[in-house]
Amino acid sequence: AAEPWPENAVLYQQLKEEQILLSDNASSLAVQAFLQMCNLPIRVVCRANAEYMSPSGKVPFIHVGNQVVSELGPIVQFVKAKGHSLSDGLDEVQKAEMKAYMELVNNMLLTAELYLQWCDDVTVEEITHPRYGSPYPWPLNHILSYQKQWEVRRKMKAIGWAGKTLEQVLEDVDQCCQALSQRLGTQLYFFNKQPTELDALVFGHLFTILTTQLTTDELSEKVKNYSNLTAFCRRIEQQYFEGHDRDSSATVAARSAKRSLLR
Amino acid sequence: MAAPMELSCWGGDWGLPSLHPESLTVMAYAKFSGAPLTVNTINKSWRAPKGDVPVLISADIVISQPAKILNFLRKQKYNADYELSAKQGADTLAYIALLEEKLLPALLHTFWVEAENYRSVTKPWFASRIPFPLSLYLPGKMSREALNRILLTRGGPPPYSLTEVEAQIYRDAKECLNLLSKRLGTSQFFFGDTPTTLDAFVFGFLAPIYKVCFPRVQLQEHLKQLPNLCHFCDDILTCYFRLTVADSALIISLQMDDSLRKSPQHPPRKLTTLKLAAGGEESSPWNRLSP
Repeated sequence: AAEPWPENAVLYQQLKEEQILLSDNASSLAVQAFLQMCNLPIRVVCRANAEYMSPSGKVPFIHVGNQVVSELGPIVQFVKAKGHSLSDGLDEVQKAEMKAYMELVNNMLLTAELYLQWCDDVTVEEITHPRYGSPYPWPLNHILSYQKQWEVRRKMKAIGWAGKTLEQVLEDVDQCCQALSQRLGTQLYFFNKQPTELDALVFGHLFTILTTQLTTDELSEKVKNYSNLTAFCRRIEQQYFEGHDRDSSATVAARSAKRSLLR
Repeated sequence: MAAPMELSCWGGDWGLPSLHPESLTVMAYAKFSGAPLTVNTINKSWRAPKGDVPVLISADIVISQPAKILNFLRKQKYNADYELSAKQGADTLAYIALLEEKLLPALLHTFWVEAENYRSVTKPWFASRIPFPLSLYLPGKMSREALNRILLTRGGPPPYSLTEVEAQIYRDAKECLNLLSKRLGTSQFFFGDTPTTLDAFVFGFLAPIYKVCFPRVQLQEHLKQLPNLCHFCDDILTCYFRLTVADSALIISLQMDDSLRKSPQHPPRKLTTLKLAAGGEESSPWNRLSP
C-alpha cells in the first residue's frame, strides 16, 4: 500500500465486442470513470475468462503491482490506501449520504439490469445467451450460460425479485432515477463541484443503459425522462473520456462501449 | 370511510410490539401516519402464515410486502411523508437501500443463523407461536432461507469461508449503524420533528437488535455505544407504542381529536399531542370511570 501507483496497472473485463453484458459493462465503466477522476492511468485488457480470473468472481478487477482487487467498493478503498481519494472533502453526514446512494444504485439499478438480462425470457434468448458463451465452443457456451442464469435466478429469488414482473422492475428503475435526479438537482456533480465515487458509479450505470441497445428501449427511456441525468452523463463523458489523449484506452473503451453493444 | 384494515404479523416480546423487522416497520408507519390498523398477531390458531408476513387485508385486497403495504396506506391518504421535500424523499430511498444491503444480512444472521441464538431464543419463540406440525418445519425453513439470502448476496464464489462472510457482514452492519448515528445526529427523527417512512424502517431494523436478549450479542453491544440511536428507539416505543389503552374514555378523547382534523390527508401524529394524552393516563380522573 505504500508504493505509488505504477504505470502498468491493468483492468480486466470480458470481451468488449462480443461477450460483455450490460451489468458487467456498467460496473467496468464505473471503475474506469473513477480511476480517470483520480487521474490514475489504467490499461483495459479484455479476456474471455475475466470472471473466473477475478478473486471474487465479479468483474471488473484491477491488477496493480502484485495485488488484485475486484469491484468498485474494494478498489475505492485500495486507491484510498495509496493516498488518492475523491471523498475526503466530504463531512460525515455527506459521506453517509454518499454510501447510501451508492447502495441505492447497487440495490435497484444493478439488480434491475441483472433481472433484465437473466430473468426476462426475450432478452435472455436474443441477447444474453448468444453473447455470454460466445468465446467458447459448443456445448460449453450453452452450459456456462445456463449455469450463470441458474445462479442469478437463485439470487433473485432469495431477495424477493423473482416474483416481480418486467413492468414492476422498470418502475423501480424509474423510482431510482427519480431519486438520483432529485438529489443531483442542478448541481454539476452529486456533491458540489467535485466528482466522487458516487458520480463514477452513477455514470457507469446510466451511460451503459443509455447506449446499449436491447430488445426494447424501455430501460433507456426511463433514464432519458430525466434530462439532468443525461446532461450529467454527457458532461462526464466529455470531461473524462474525450478530453484526454485520443488514443487512450479509456476513450477507446467508451467509444466501443457505445458501438459494440449496439446490435 | 376506508374499509377496515387488518394487519397479520408476528407478535412481540421484550417490550416490542413485534420481533419481526418488517412487521415492526409496518406497525410503526401505521402509528406515525395515524392509520387505523387492527393488528392480529399470529398465534397457535390454524390461520398459520402461508406466505410472506406481514400481510395487510382490507376488504378484498391482500397485500404482502412492506413497501407495497406502505404504498397502499399512502394511497388511502395515510401519508407520513407529505411534509418532505423531493430531495428528502430521494434520501429516504437511498437510506432504505443502505439498511437492506448492509444491516439486514447481519440482522438475519443474529436471529437465524448464529447457532446459539437460533437454538436458545429464536426457534423456541417462533415455534411456540405456530401450530403444531408446522412448528417443527417452519422455523427451520426460515433459518435456511436466511442463510441462503446471506450467502447469495454476500458470499463469493466457492470455495468461500463462512467465517469470513460472517466477519464481513458484521463489519458492514457496524459501519451502517455508525453512518445512521451520524446522520441522525442530535435530532429526534431523521427529518426534523415528525417521524416519516425512513424512521419506520430504521426503527423496524434497529429495535429487534436493541431489545431482544440473545446469548451472542455483538451487534447489540455496538448499538448500545451509539446513544442517539438507542434514544431514538426508546422514544418511539414510549410515545407511539405504549398507547395500548383499554380505557374507553381515553379512546373517546383520542377519537375526538381525530375527527377535528379537517384535511383529507391525515397529518402524521405529532409527538406533543400523544405525550399529553399519555401523561393524562395515570393521573386523570378518567381512570375511575368504568365502561
